[in-house]
Amino acid sequence: MDETQIWWLMPLIISLLIGVICPTTGSILITQRRILLANLMAHSVLPGLVLALAIGIDPTIGGLISGLLGALIAERLNQRFKGREESSMNTVLAGFTAIGVLLVPLLQTRVDLETILFGDLLAANSSDITRTLIATTALIFLLLTRYQDLVFIGVDPDGAIAAKRPVSQIRFLAIVITALVIISAITAVGIILVIALVCAPVLMHIETSRSLKQLIIKSAATGLALTSGGMLLAIAVDLPPGPVIGSLCMIALISKQIQTN
Amino acid sequence: MSSFTNKEGLRASRVCFSYGNKQIIDNVTLELKPGTLTALVGPNGAGKSTLLHLLQGRLQRDSGIVECNSSITVMPQRASIDWTFPITVNEMVRLGGRNLQQQKEIMAKQLLMRVGMEQLAQRRLSDLSGGQQQRVLLARALMQQTGVLLLDEPCSAIDPPTREHLLSVMREQADAGQTLLVSSHDWGSALDSYDKVLVLDNTLLANGTPSEVREKLSDMTCMMGSHCCG
Repeated sequence: MDETQIWWLMPLIISLLIGVICPTTGSILITQRRILLANLMAHSVLPGLVLALAIGIDPTIGGLISGLLGALIAERLNQRFKGREESSMNTVLAGFTAIGVLLVPLLQTRVDLETILFGDLLAANSSDITRTLIATTALIFLLLTRYQDLVFIGVDPDGAIAAKRPVSQIRFLAIVITALVIISAITAVGIILVIALVCAPVLMHIETSRSLKQLIIKSAATGLALTSGGMLLAIAVDLPPGPVIGSLCMIALISKQIQTN
Repeated sequence: MSSFTNKEGLRASRVCFSYGNKQIIDNVTLELKPGTLTALVGPNGAGKSTLLHLLQGRLQRDSGIVECNSSITVMPQRASIDWTFPITVNEMVRLGGRNLQQQKEIMAKQLLMRVGMEQLAQRRLSDLSGGQQQRVLLARALMQQTGVLLLDEPCSAIDPPTREHLLSVMREQADAGQTLLVSSHDWGSALDSYDKVLVLDNTLLANGTPSEVREKLSDMTCMMGSHCCG
């Protein structure tokens, strides 16, 4: 089999990895009630990505810095506007997206904005795989070393602080890993649609899972099915994979709800 | 049931705490003797939860001293727990336990039996009623095996049989030597379950046996009527 005949291999590998790590990250964020942060970071990475591409450095570095900056600004505004966190976070989300879009003409960068926003799985290459493997490794590290803390912080955050668990460090680590996962998911689904892959598989199983581990496993399996299925369907009908996967996420969630009722 | 060797109890002297311009806790001095079950009562907004967290050290007091030679556990209010988190009753009780895995398993089973929840050990937290949630929280607090246990409204909004059961478990703990302070809306004859009563309304209004406290406060209008009923 020559290279042209296995053009689907890299996209498939990426879709499988993303299908696992996005819902896994979502399991952690949703159970800690920090899912708004994921959507915020998905949009906050944009200015950093554009800037990095403009100056010729790895977009992961630019996106990571930009994403963390967005999270930090949002955190500060949340302390100021207690009880109105959704409003302040959505403002930061929109602001960073706007800055990212403006940077393209300002820096005269040759960036395909549509690819960043909605993904282009079929254009995946080896550096995308490397990026995704780094995010996967970081996530596995967090789960293997801090699983009990993640459970404690999720179920009893005040108690975790009182028990002197390293809550701040774990939350910061979760933010960094979320940024890495989102940046690696851009190839597959883009920054606009990644939130569907982070949330939908988790929501489908959160009410029936009896442990965080079980939730992660079930969500990852569902995510795997959605991304690989979405990719194959997109190829078959000649549609962009990102929006197909995003649509499948919503359809799957609604179907599960109807089935449950 | 384990016995507690700590003979020091807990002492707090002239503890003060304010938030912004509001004095929440004003010059509170108290002593909890080891092996006693003490009630902390007061109106809503009196600072009962704040005082418990100050005694534990989770909140930093503005002034005053808290002395305790034992570690302290706070059993939190139900509202501070995410009851939708995917976890079973058994795992919840074991969370934060200090022992080895096998010991935790055995202890959790024993504690669930004591609080009457052994049949529901594999249930998800989200499937529990309010009274069942309180039982689980108590079992989890007992799992910590600390010398001092501070309980934040453990009997709030639960049925009388569950209340009686929880109080009997707390009494057993006190008899075994643990020092317990229970924040409560109990009043009248309900206070007879306790060895001592502290009445708090930002500052300590009364401190003594249930009958002493009732006598002292019987003519204070602020303690009449609905305050202790929520």
